[in-house]
Amino acid sequence: MRKNLIMGLAVIVSAAMIAPFAWAVRVNQPAPDFTATDSNGQTHHLSDYQGKFVVLEWTNRGCPYTRKHYESGNMQRLQQEWTAKGVIWLTVLSSAPGKQGYMTASQENAYLKQENAHPTAALLDPTGALGHLYGAKTSPQMFVINPQGILVYDGAIDDRPTTDTADIQGAKNYLNLALEEAMAGKPVSDPVTRPYGCSVKYANE
Amino acid sequence: MGVWFRVEKGWHIYWKNPGDSGEPAKIQWELPPRFHVGSIEWPAPERLAAPSIVDYGYENEAVLIAPMRVAAGLKNGEKETIAANVNWLVCREICIPGKAQVSLTLPVSSVVRGWKGSASSADVAMLIGARAKVPKPLPATWKVSATAEKNDFVLTIETRKPERAATFFPLEPEQIKNDATQLATPFSRGVRLRLQKSDGLLKPIAQLRGVLELGAGTGRAYQIAVPVRAVAAENR
Repeated sequence: MRKNLIMGLAVIVSAAMIAPFAWAVRVNQPAPDFTATDSNGQTHHLSDYQGKFVVLEWTNRGCPYTRKHYESGNMQRLQQEWTAKGVIWLTVLSSAPGKQGYMTASQENAYLKQENAHPTAALLDPTGALGHLYGAKTSPQMFVINPQGILVYDGAIDDRPTTDTADIQGAKNYLNLALEEAMAGKPVSDPVTRPYGCSVKYANE
Repeated sequence: MGVWFRVEKGWHIYWKNPGDSGEPAKIQWELPPRFHVGSIEWPAPERLAAPSIVDYGYENEAVLIAPMRVAAGLKNGEKETIAANVNWLVCREICIPGKAQVSLTLPVSSVVRGWKGSASSADVAMLIGARAKVPKPLPATWKVSATAEKNDFVLTIETRKPERAATFFPLEPEQIKNDATQLATPFSRGVRLRLQKSDGLLKPIAQLRGVLELGAGTGRAYQIAVPVRAVAAENR
């Protein structure tokens, strides 16, 4: 009993430690491990995917920048293309309850179906713990983690920070470039870019 | 020429560098032949804080002005129409993109009369007010220098008197951590301002460019572009 109590306390303390500080994730450093639950109730740890490339995509279905990439089908195409090549694609929802982009598990599943989206999983992060751990600021914001668990890309999906779907064609897609270069064993040319979009709708501090 | 944005209470639009999120307004001018327009002269922005982020922009209202040169050989009394296609993003909790086409037809006059006639004196006052909000060049007698430490940049601003408060707005993204507190330390000849480096900053930078505001909300804003000197690593 006593042991359980002590473990319970340890969990609370560590959760409280993570929340107030944006953990500085840096490219070319190990990506912090996390535990998160997806819209089907399954648990995912980053460490489950050692040996694979992992993409983290911050999303908010109401954000006009996110909508640009879903209504055009661009995000779905990227998800399909990269997961077909063995990449683990985790879409993350860090909107707090009551804020734009917050979804229950069943709402998210319906949305994924409606949009014909193909992430490996959609992680529900209503407390913002995962978002704060990675310092995610916008939707969409993209991270790429290599098979050794090193963060190799942090930033925007492409170089056109607009809400206009016409800007997708001809844009320099930083995510594709990062994955192509990293898979070819090359250093990523643009490892950090300014993520553009709406602010992530975290709970008020 | 200026475009006046009236923003509903609680909402904001963005500066040239929007900070952690958002997007600056865009103006595409449609001008009569041989008219020329320069780029937007952005007024000094405000820091706009939300959970975990800081953006740079404007609440309530903003006038974005651009210098314009008219064609030679225009005749008095002729009318010319200047139009602008304006795109913007306005945010509060959520963001909404907007666009509008606006236009203004003004008579040609070789006499400067404070735009009497088609434009009211209120318009003139607005443009003068907008110009006053554009950051000024640094006075020649002032000195600004910057050093790079391990985690911070330190800006030293010498105005020859103690300055209580200072805020830096970076023009480049991913140089400073936007949501970090900027620590201002006054001294006899000015103020030192400590800026935390961005987590995304991977290489040393040659210069810090941006807007420096002295005091808080005083309208004393200056354009700076200062070389960054690396401080030698401390001996341990």
